[in-house]
Amino acid sequence: MSASLSGWGISTQLPDGWEGRISLRVTPTGTTHDEAAAVAPSGRRTLRALAGSSAPGAVGWPGEIPNPVVHLANFALPPGRGDFGSGATDRMTEANALIVLFEYGPESVGQPLFASQGLPHTLRPHHFRANALQRQIPGQVGFQHFFTEAGRAFTLFVVLGSTHHAPTLTASCNRTLANTRISPR
Amino acid sequence: MILTIVVVVEALVIVALAVLVLGLLRSHADILRRLHALDGGDPDGTGVAATTSAGGQPFQTVPEIPGPGPVRIADPKAAAKDIVGQGLTDDSVVIRTAGVDHDTVLAFLSTGCLTCQGFWSDFASPDGVLLPARTRLVVVTKDLAEESPAVLAELAPPGIDVVLSSQAWADYDVPGSPYVVAVDGATGRVQGEGTGMSWEQVAGLLAQATGDRAYLVADTSGRPVKPESDVEREARVDRELLAAGVLPGDPSLYPDGPPPVGVPGVGDAT
Repeated sequence: MSASLSGWGISTQLPDGWEGRISLRVTPTGTTHDEAAAVAPSGRRTLRALAGSSAPGAVGWPGEIPNPVVHLANFALPPGRGDFGSGATDRMTEANALIVLFEYGPESVGQPLFASQGLPHTLRPHHFRANALQRQIPGQVGFQHFFTEAGRAFTLFVVLGSTHHAPTLTASCNRTLANTRISPR
Repeated sequence: MILTIVVVVEALVIVALAVLVLGLLRSHADILRRLHALDGGDPDGTGVAATTSAGGQPFQTVPEIPGPGPVRIADPKAAAKDIVGQGLTDDSVVIRTAGVDHDTVLAFLSTGCLTCQGFWSDFASPDGVLLPARTRLVVVTKDLAEESPAVLAELAPPGIDVVLSSQAWADYDVPGSPYVVAVDGATGRVQGEGTGMSWEQVAGLLAQATGDRAYLVADTSGRPVKPESDVEREARVDRELLAAGVLPGDPSLYPDGPPPVGVPGVGDAT
């Protein structure tokens, strides 16, 4: 049964067995109780301020304007992951795949690095290479691509558990990516 | 004369043993009746399910906090539902419990429940919770509107997923907190569910329901390595780079030229 996931102008329909999280990197701030009722740009009440630097996962720096990070995977995403999946990739089996969508700030829009338009959703096994990984783990291969969509600058980072299962995993990733939409902020 | 004395003594011993056996049988029957009552059964054959604890006193919680119902036997046909909600950092979360290669233990807790305090504390302790290999623990609270944000931020245990989802409470028909549901990932069925005064009690329940003693006894074989070292290393590198004024995208991060925008075939992929 598919499941919907959305936040900060990004939405996706997760295929069977896939789970995900769309989050903003925690910015170190105060930890007063007043901040517990802070309101996020989305209008939702938020615990971000309270979580502060004690929250698991990647932590930004004071004054940072955090951007969304999307993690989609066909395995149990562990808490405390890094933005690009550190802490998760070392738990992957050969049959697992991880998709990361990392948004950069508006100053990146229009830069040559992000000249490619649109979120890729027809990846092929030969796009994946071991040296594209943030940290090389035997058997795993990765793919990274910078692009702009809806006036927003992103990088797509995909890790496959093994080259042996690359055709199946790539098809599964493509189904997930095809169901992912990015709207203007 | 001696033979008569021996026979009398033997008779007395037999009578004493008979009394002892009868007492044990009665005690055993009483224990069975109380266990049956704990399972929500009908202790007196009156057709009324048990609503009291083993001591005969109603289960009490603090005012305004709903008390847990009697422990329920998992319905083997009960299908597990995925957990969809909000994370502690205002993130949107979907956690799969069915059709996956791992099992999930859902701990439904709240910030205002006194009994839950022990669970929060156990979960925060590195040695507080034993889980079988390939089993994930997820704490589920109600939505933020129904919880205390400040207390929740304080109680949230590091290294364990906490999801705010009143929908999950409704999906699993949670009668009150604390309440624990074990889901078999392969079949997508609820293996067992119930409550207790401590995680230790619940772990015993889970061990019974799943037949897995790893809830009670540490099994270090094949357990996944914690990712903290990776995360700490990445955070340290980020801090040092930022302190040196190197921001994301800085050209110095790419000594061999820009990142592979033009990876062969990528153009085809878009």
